[in-house]
Amino acid sequence: MKRIFVTMAAVLLGAGAVFAQQDIVNQRQTEMKNNAKNLGGVLVAMVKGEKPYDQAAVDAALGVLVANAKVLSTQFPDSTKGLRSGDKYSASPKIWENRADFESHLASFAKVVNEAKASVKDLDTLKATVPLIGKQCANCHETYRLKDG
Amino acid sequence: MTRRLSILAAIVIVAGFAIYWWLTMPVVIAASALPARTPDLANGRTAFNIGGCASCHATPNQPDRTKLGGGLPLSTPFGAFHVPNISPDPKDGIGGWSEAQFVTAVMEGVSPHGAHFFPAFPYPSYHRARLADIRDMFAYIRTLSPVSGRAPDHDIAFPYNIRRNVGIWKWLFMERRPFADVAGQSPQWNRGAYLVNTLGHCAECHSPRNALGGIIAAQRFAGGPNPEGKGWVPNITQKNLGDWSEKDIAYFLESGLTPDGDSAGGSMASVIKNTAQLSAEDRAAMAVYLKSLPPVDGPPRVRARPSN
Ligand code: HEC
Ligand code: HEC
Ligand code: HEC
Repeated sequence: MKRIFVTMAAVLLGAGAVFAQQDIVNQRQTEMKNNAKNLGGVLVAMVKGEKPYDQAAVDAALGVLVANAKVLSTQFPDSTKGLRSGDKYSASPKIWENRADFESHLASFAKVVNEAKASVKDLDTLKATVPLIGKQCANCHETYRLKDG
Repeated sequence: MTRRLSILAAIVIVAGFAIYWWLTMPVVIAASALPARTPDLANGRTAFNIGGCASCHATPNQPDRTKLGGGLPLSTPFGAFHVPNISPDPKDGIGGWSEAQFVTAVMEGVSPHGAHFFPAFPYPSYHRARLADIRDMFAYIRTLSPVSGRAPDHDIAFPYNIRRNVGIWKWLFMERRPFADVAGQSPQWNRGAYLVNTLGHCAECHSPRNALGGIIAAQRFAGGPNPEGKGWVPNITQKNLGDWSEKDIAYFLESGLTPDGDSAGGSMASVIKNTAQLSAEDRAAMAVYLKSLPPVDGPPRVRARPSN
C-alpha cells in the first residue's frame, strides 16, 4: 500500500513538473504577445500616424519590452525543449543546439530596448528606433521561431 | 513478323527519344539578341534587391549582402542544393561570363554549358522579368567585389539529379508568357504586379506545390507547407490579409512588423532584408497589388504535432 502511495506521489509530482514546464511555455508566449502588443499597438501605431505621439505611453511600452527582455532570458530552460502550446508558433529545437548564439540574440535585444528607453524623446527618434527593435525580433525569429499554422 | 515488330519497336524508341530530346532542349539567348546599351546601375541594384539574390547567394554568417560567395545549403524534398558563387570572381564566380550567358541563366535557367539549372534557383519567376532589368542587374553584380571559393556539389537523389529531366519539368510548369501590363489597371498596380510576380518571386514560397514541385496555379499565393522543410508559409491573398491595409503591407515589407506588432520570422525575415532596400514607391505598389488579390482558400493544414 505504502509503495503504491509513493509511486502515485512520484507520478503526480512528475506530472506536476511537466505542467510547470508547460506553464513556462505559456508564459513566454504571453510575454512575446505582449512584446507585439506594445511594439505594434503603441510604438508602430505612432510611427504610422495612427496614434498621436505620447511620451508617457512610449516610456510605458518600452518599459514592458525592457522587462520582458530580462524575464525571457530565464524562460527557455532545457526542460522545455520540445514542449509547445497553441498551434501557431513554437520554439525551434535549434535554441538548445546553439544555446550560446540564442543567448547572444537575447542579450542584443535587451541592449537595444534599453538604449531605446534612454534615447527616444520625440516622433523622429521613435521613427528611427522602431525598425532597430523590429530587427531584433526578426533576427531571432528567423532562426529560432517556427511557424506551424 | 518478328522482324517487323522489332523495327516498329525501334522506331517507337527512337521517336520517343527524339521527343524527349526535343522537349528537354535548353533554350539559349544569343548575344545578338542583346543590342548595345548603357546599363542603368541604380535600376540594376533595385532588380538585384527585389530579386532576393543575396538571400541565397550571399556568403552565410556574415553581414555583407553584396559578398556573393555562395555556399548556403538549401534543403528540399529532393535533396540538398548548395548555392553557387555568383560574385565577379573570374575563377570561382561568374567573372568570366558574358552578358548573354548571365541572361540565359537567370531568364531561361540554362548554364553556359547548355545544361538545365534546377528550379531551386527561382528562374521560373525571373523568366517573366524584363530583359532590360536583368541586363542592368548583370552590370550591377559586376561592380561588386569578387569572392573566391566554391560551394560543394549538390546532393540530390536520383532521378531528380538528371539535369536533362528538368527540361520536362520546365515544359510542364514554367510559365512562358512574358509579363504584360494589364490594361485598365493603374501604373502603380502594374508595377506592383510586376515586382511580386517576376523578380520578387513571392509565389515561389507562398503557394502549394504538387508532388513534382510545380506550383498549383489555382492556389497561387494561398500559402502551404514550407518548401524548405519545417513550418507553414501563410496565405497572402485577401483570405488572410483582409484586415491589413495597404499601409500595413508596405510597412511590413519595410520593417518586417505585422499590424499586430509581431515580427516576420523564418525565411520571410531574409525577404524583408531585400524589400527594406527598395524605394517606398515600390513597396507601396506591391501593397496595392497584394490588396487586390481575391480571397483564395489554401490547402488544409495538417494539425501541429502534440507536444512530446
Ligand atoms: C531571443 C529571441 C527572440 C527575441 C529577441 C524575440 N522573440 Fe518573439 N519569439 C521567440 C521564440 C523562440 C518564440 C516561440 C516561443 C514558443 O512558442 O515557445 C517567439 C514567439 C513570438 C510570438 C508568438 C507568440 C504566440 O505563441 O502566439 C510573437 C507575437 C513574438 N514572438 C513577438 C516578438 C516581438 C514583437 C519581439 C521584439 C519586440 C520578439 N518577439 C523578440 C524568440 C524571440
Ligand atoms: C532561393 C534561392 C536562390 C535565389 C533567390 C537565387 N538563386 Fe541563383 N541559384 C540558386 C541555386 C540553388 C543555384 C544552382 C542551380 C543548379 O545548380 O542547377 C543557382 C544558380 C545561379 C547561377 C548559376 C551559377 C553557376 O555557377 O552555374 C546564377 C548566375 C544565379 N544563380 C544568379 C542569381 C541571381 C542573379 C539571382 C537574383 C535575381 C539569384 N540567382 C537568386 C539559388 C538561388
Ligand atoms: C523564401 C520564402 C518566401 C518568399 C520568397 C516570400 N515569403 Fe512572405 N513569408 C514567408 C514565410 C515563411 C512567412 C511566415 C513568417 C513567419 O514565420 O513569421 C511569410 C510571411 C509573409 C507575410 C505575413 C503574412 C502573415 O499572415 O503574417 C506577408 C504579407 C508576406 N510574407 C508577403 C510576401 C511578399 C510580398 C513576398 C515577395 C516580395 C514574399 N512574401 C516572399 C516566406 C516567403
